[in-house]
This record gives sequence, structure tokens and C-alpha cells, in this order.
Amino acid sequence: MNTQTILRIGGSIIIYTLLQVFILRNLVVFDLAFCFVYISVILFLPSSVPTTTSLLVAFLLGILVDMFYNTAGLHSSAAVLLAYVRGFILKVLFPSRGLENEIVISVEGMGVERFIRYIVVMTFIHHIYLFFVEAGTINFFLNTSFKVLASVLFSSLVIFLLHVYLKSLRNT
Amino acid sequence: MSQLLGILYKSRHFFLFLILQIFSFYLMSKNNVYWDVSFFNSTNTIVAKSLEVSQNATEFINLGNVNKQLADENAALRKQLTDISEMISIVDGYQPDSVKAHRFEFTPAKVISSTNDLTNNFITIDKGTDDGVKPGMGVISPQGVVGQVAYSNRKYSRVYSILHSQMQVSSEILNKKLRADDKVALGISKWEGNNPKYIDLKNVDRFKSVFKGDSIVTSMQNPIFPPRIMIGKISDISNSSAEAFHKITVRMSTDFSSLIYVYVVKNKLIDSQVEVETKVETK
Repeated sequence: MNTQTILRIGGSIIIYTLLQVFILRNLVVFDLAFCFVYISVILFLPSSVPTTTSLLVAFLLGILVDMFYNTAGLHSSAAVLLAYVRGFILKVLFPSRGLENEIVISVEGMGVERFIRYIVVMTFIHHIYLFFVEAGTINFFLNTSFKVLASVLFSSLVIFLLHVYLKSLRNT
Repeated sequence: MSQLLGILYKSRHFFLFLILQIFSFYLMSKNNVYWDVSFFNSTNTIVAKSLEVSQNATEFINLGNVNKQLADENAALRKQLTDISEMISIVDGYQPDSVKAHRFEFTPAKVISSTNDLTNNFITIDKGTDDGVKPGMGVISPQGVVGQVAYSNRKYSRVYSILHSQMQVSSEILNKKLRADDKVALGISKWEGNNPKYIDLKNVDRFKSVFKGDSIVTSMQNPIFPPRIMIGKISDISNSSAEAFHKITVRMSTDFSSLIYVYVVKNKLIDSQVEVETKVETK
């Protein structure tokens, strides 16, 4: 982990948190599809970052989002879970690459199809955890499931497009 | 011992994960109980400030909607106010009929275009016969009288502004002296075509005491407007002993250059009133 990586992580935390809190918090489609784009920070952490650091980064990020959403603990819990399972998901999804450290998490590094698969799986894990913990019970199982599915579609799309867009901005 | 430490070290990620999760759940449970006292809450100054900024932006975007809601609410309140004031009996023995008291209805409309510097001025509003607007209905604004509907199609209506050479409004002067003397000073407001801020009040008896600054409102005898809708305030009176009437200039309360929302007044009993009046005349 060098200074550049730390700066990049810090920058992405700030950008995605601001985006989430000021714009996407107000963007709910049909009261059904929510967009939690802040998980991009965890999704696109360089794979060289050790799990300990990514857990702490996820917790910090979650607490930041929680402060604005008035849901102390909810988002930090979901984000920590996501950071924890990230390593396993990478291993399961890309077994041929061997060690997870060699994977470059980006469109070019993975190919569009596998990249999208990675985003959708991660978003699904995060959202299903988030919505069911938030609901607190499984009484509204059907309702919550609809929310999860709609939100996964919406969030994945936004995460993918934003990643591609930010990448192209950085390149020019 | 070293083996135990080794196991612990190997699973350090899991322990960190567990600690963070436990902490998160602790916050969550605490948040559910004392949800407004926790530190991780938008009572936190920086968070509150930034949320306020974001809220302000949202409000600005929604202003159009809010205006519309307020106009609708005002129309409803105006209706209630007119109903109530019409139900009050001023003279003993006169019992207002509730059908008559509830005869006015208000429809909010948005001004699309207006002129105020021609001799005959018109205003276009975005409500037509689909919303029950018909020619002849009165139009008022939050500030005062605006005019009368001249022509309407399904979606739009054209309104004679009070700044129109053919337009006149039956008016009444309000002041303490007149009220104390139990007198009513009636007159006709008519625009002379000079200045869009001023209107003339004619046919006011010279022996009625009238002062500068008195309010001019629509009269009780007016079938088009509800009684006591503001027209303006007297800005100038000139008396010459040779004439039977005061010469009064009124500064209008309505600013015609800044009209946005107006209310179309529907008098449900106007047909029967007109019928009675015309029958008397043709006798």
C-alpha cells in the first residue's frame, strides 16, 4: 500500500459519499428501487489492499453514510459484511486466476461480462442483507424481496456506468 | 500457546469482522431506543448543515409545486371566509339564507400573459370551460380585484382587466365615520386609461364623508365579485361645490405587472339574480 493507493481510496470515499448523500438519497424509483452507489468504494478497492484495511475502510464508509441516513449501524454493518466476503467472492468467481492478489478489478482487467457479474453478485449480497436487517422481520418478505430485486438492478446499473465514466474521466 | 496465537492470527480478519459487526449492531440497537440522542445522527452539526443545503436545493426545485398547492389552499380558505362572512347577520331580523351565503366558488388559475399599458388590457389565464370558467365571472388576485372573464375556450380564458375602458366595478368606501353614521358610500370604479396604478371612483355622493387613505372594496350589490374584496386606497380627493359627486382617485392594490396566480369567482346564483332584475326592467 503506497501513498497513491491511500489517496485514491480517500478520494473515492469522499466522491461516492457525497454523491450518495446529496443526490442518490433523493432518487428512489417508484418507492421501490433504491440506489446505494457508495459500495463502489469497497467493490473497486485494489486487490492488493489487505482484508484488515478494507474492513476498516468499509466500516468508516458505512458510518459516514449512516450519519446522513439516520440509521446508525445499518450501513456500516452491511458494508463490513461486503468487505469481508469480497475475498471469497473473488475466489469463487475467478478461480482460474489463482491468487486473488493478481486480479485487476476493472472493466479492462476482467472483461465486461465478468465485471458485470461481479458487480451484480456483490450488490445483491449487500442489498439483501441491508434490506432484511432494516426490515427487522421477515413479515414483509415479499415486499422486501421486490425492493431488493429492483434496487439490485438499479444500483448495479448506476455503479457500472459510474465506474466506466469515472475511468474515462481519469484517462483523458 | 503459540499454536493458539497462530490460529488467532490466521483468523484475525474474521475477528475484526466480528468486532465491527458487533459494534454496528450495538449502534443499531441503541439507535432504535434513543434514536435522537446518538452521536451518529443528523443532529450532528456538520451533517445537519449539509442536509439543510441539500434540502434547500430540493425545495427550490419544488417551488412551482408548492406555489400551486398554496394557491389551491388559498382558494379553499377564501371560499370558507366568504361563506362565513356572508352567514353573519348584520341587521337584527335578517337571516341570511345558507344557499345565498355559499353562492361563491373559487378556482385558482395561472396567469399566462397580461398587458397593462394599453387602453384595453387583457389577461390570459390557463383555466377554461373544462374547469367551469365561463364568460362574465369575476377574477381576483390575492392583492385585490383583477377583472372579469371575457371569453373562454376549453383550456384557456381571456379576462378583461380592470384596466379596460369598458370595465367598471361597483364599489364601496370603508371608513370609521361612515360606519359610525351607519351610512354606505357606494360608487363605480372605472379606469381612465392613463396610469395602470390608479383608477377613478365615480358617483360618490358629495355629502358622504370620505377621506384620503380610505379603503375601496367591492360592494354588497355586486353579483360578480364577493363583497369586500380590496380594490385600492384613496390617494386623492378633489371637491368642487358645483358638482354633486366627489372626484376620487384610487391607488390600486393589485400590481398588474406581477400577477402569477388569480382566482376565478363563480357566483352560483347569478342567473336567478339577473333574471329577477331584468324582469323588473321589462315590466
